[in-house]
Amino acid sequence: MITIKRALYMLAVIAVVLGIYGFGSRLLFGERDVNYGSYVNWGLWVAMYLFFAGMAAGSFMVASLDYLFDVALFRNTGKYALWASAVTLPGALILIGFDLGHMERIWKVYLQPNFTSLLAQLVWSYSTFLVVSTVALILAIRGRRTALKPVMAVGLAIAIFVSGGVGALLGVNAARVSFQNAMLPAQFPVLNLASGIALLLVMVGFFGVLADAERRTRLVRLLSLTLVVLLGVKAYFLWVDYSQALYGQTQEAVAVAGQVLFGPYAWAFWIVQLGLGVVMPAMVLLVPSTSRRAPLAGLMGVFVLVGLAVGRTSIIFPALAFPEFDGLTDAFTGPHLGLDYTPSLMEWSVTIGVLGLSTLAYLVGTDRLPLFSKSPEVAR
Amino acid sequence: MAEQEPLGSAAVSRRGFLHGLIGGAAAASIASYEVFAVEADPTAPPQAAPASGPATALSSGGDQVDVLERMRAELLRALGKPAAERRWVMVIDLRKCVGCHACTIACVAENKLPPGVVYRPVIEEEWGTYPNVGRRFIPRPCMQCDKPPCVPVCPVNATFKNEEGVVVVDYPQCIGCRACLTACPYSARTADFGLTYTQGTPVAAGLIAGRDTVAAYEKAANFEYGTARPREGHESPIGNARKCHFCLHRVKAGELPACVTTCIGRATLFGDANDPTSLVTRLIAQPNVTRLKEELGTEPRVYYLA
Repeated sequence: MITIKRALYMLAVIAVVLGIYGFGSRLLFGERDVNYGSYVNWGLWVAMYLFFAGMAAGSFMVASLDYLFDVALFRNTGKYALWASAVTLPGALILIGFDLGHMERIWKVYLQPNFTSLLAQLVWSYSTFLVVSTVALILAIRGRRTALKPVMAVGLAIAIFVSGGVGALLGVNAARVSFQNAMLPAQFPVLNLASGIALLLVMVGFFGVLADAERRTRLVRLLSLTLVVLLGVKAYFLWVDYSQALYGQTQEAVAVAGQVLFGPYAWAFWIVQLGLGVVMPAMVLLVPSTSRRAPLAGLMGVFVLVGLAVGRTSIIFPALAFPEFDGLTDAFTGPHLGLDYTPSLMEWSVTIGVLGLSTLAYLVGTDRLPLFSKSPEVAR
Repeated sequence: MAEQEPLGSAAVSRRGFLHGLIGGAAAASIASYEVFAVEADPTAPPQAAPASGPATALSSGGDQVDVLERMRAELLRALGKPAAERRWVMVIDLRKCVGCHACTIACVAENKLPPGVVYRPVIEEEWGTYPNVGRRFIPRPCMQCDKPPCVPVCPVNATFKNEEGVVVVDYPQCIGCRACLTACPYSARTADFGLTYTQGTPVAAGLIAGRDTVAAYEKAANFEYGTARPREGHESPIGNARKCHFCLHRVKAGELPACVTTCIGRATLFGDANDPTSLVTRLIAQPNVTRLKEELGTEPRVYYLA
């Protein structure tokens, strides 16, 4: 019988194989085969960078419940959350690295930074976060919980900072009405926490994580209810964003909101982001008996993550697809000068490949790392 | 069946048409010349002898000069000052722009812009309902903002205002993150994705100027910012953000920006706004001057006369 883990191994390997084309194309031919351009200048990779970075920060926040705050119910879950953070962060960095026109010059951000740039601040913060996460992981593997606490405290602060920072990276752009509001830096830490909770729910739901069945059931229940609350907050954010945009009647805000709600990709908002990513999981996870059917709860966690991923795309693409001048795209035409954006095969390939790599790293780590193999709590 | 016109008469009428066209063009030139006709600046440096022919009458007859010559004289005068004391501005007279796109093409040629990269599109705007309709053309170079939103967002200081106040891109420094593209309220920056016009075109050596022939031209260096950068491999400016720079390489050589010299209606004007006697200084003090998206507080250095 094919277990969930084995199936995931197979899917991850397939995803990595599918990613080979994209990785090869990007490394050999640069950005020749991408579909983002000069007007929709950030595409799928940036949106998925936000998503992966969100999972990394959110998972670290969740890990702190065990390693920093000693919440009894979360005991022994910290290492899973920490490892999830460790495998998703490089995924985010690969995606955003590939998005650079000259990724070989990334060293300049370290040696010649401009700290008024949110991007420079984020590069430094993510690098620090990577180091702190690695140190935390090493300390966790060695079982040094006391030494781990200050590291987790620092890491938690950075995780919240980078979450808000990503929102600010968009929010500081006065040129873009739908980016330029203080909500984004406030929203992202909450959405990232939701990512972390959903990811832990997936891990507990699919892989058990805790040997004690009764405790596992209680954990699933707690994670489920927490996630429902966070989904409620997310729904409120969506309501605030779009109702204000439509009510305010400024041309750009209405156009961007209209693009999300009624545009050609409205199905992604209504069906995937809201239906699959909020309504369905909220309804299922609210039912008390779901907590005894852990795989179902895990599946809901997957749906929530998919909804959050689509949510990132609906923040990025429609805002950039609004022209800064009417008639701009007709004034001079050419490749990469359009407002219609659909990710290219190569962009999808890279994204799927990164997803496969992160998943594979997670699976191999939980199977091979001493952090997990030594644990008496691990359930297979 | 329609009666066929003899070849001779067709030639005559074609000649007549050309005469009319030349006459019309001359009239248009004189009209534009008259709008900006001013007394010659006695402090201006001596100019090279103008070419003989019909243009001579326009260039330096009497005490008046063509705006191009005047602007060039002012440019040379400004170059005599320390760079920090210059304030290059561009003035675009929307009433004179005919939407010929010559400036766009001149810019593409001057900077050897590849597909998908444009510094100066001309946006067409129409409004009203027939019969009360209006139409105008809005050339949109980089605004060279005094408070440019693109500068602080750059993570590596690759884009900045140079000492003359022109927003420039240091190509070898740029990492290609395109944050400046997001920040620019004017969409004045485009990314160079490494494309060429000849990519995928047929090869027919000796028969047509196909890929092999033209590709050599495409790969030859341009001279933006005064540096020769052949278009090879993944070297800059491929992978970089690119933008109008007021043709700084020409300006330093005493030449006006390419878009200015090619504007058939003399709608695009350029000069030093720190020179109280310059043409642009006089024009930007007029009540009909406006700037794009002024409410954002970016303080553009491109002014429009509406």
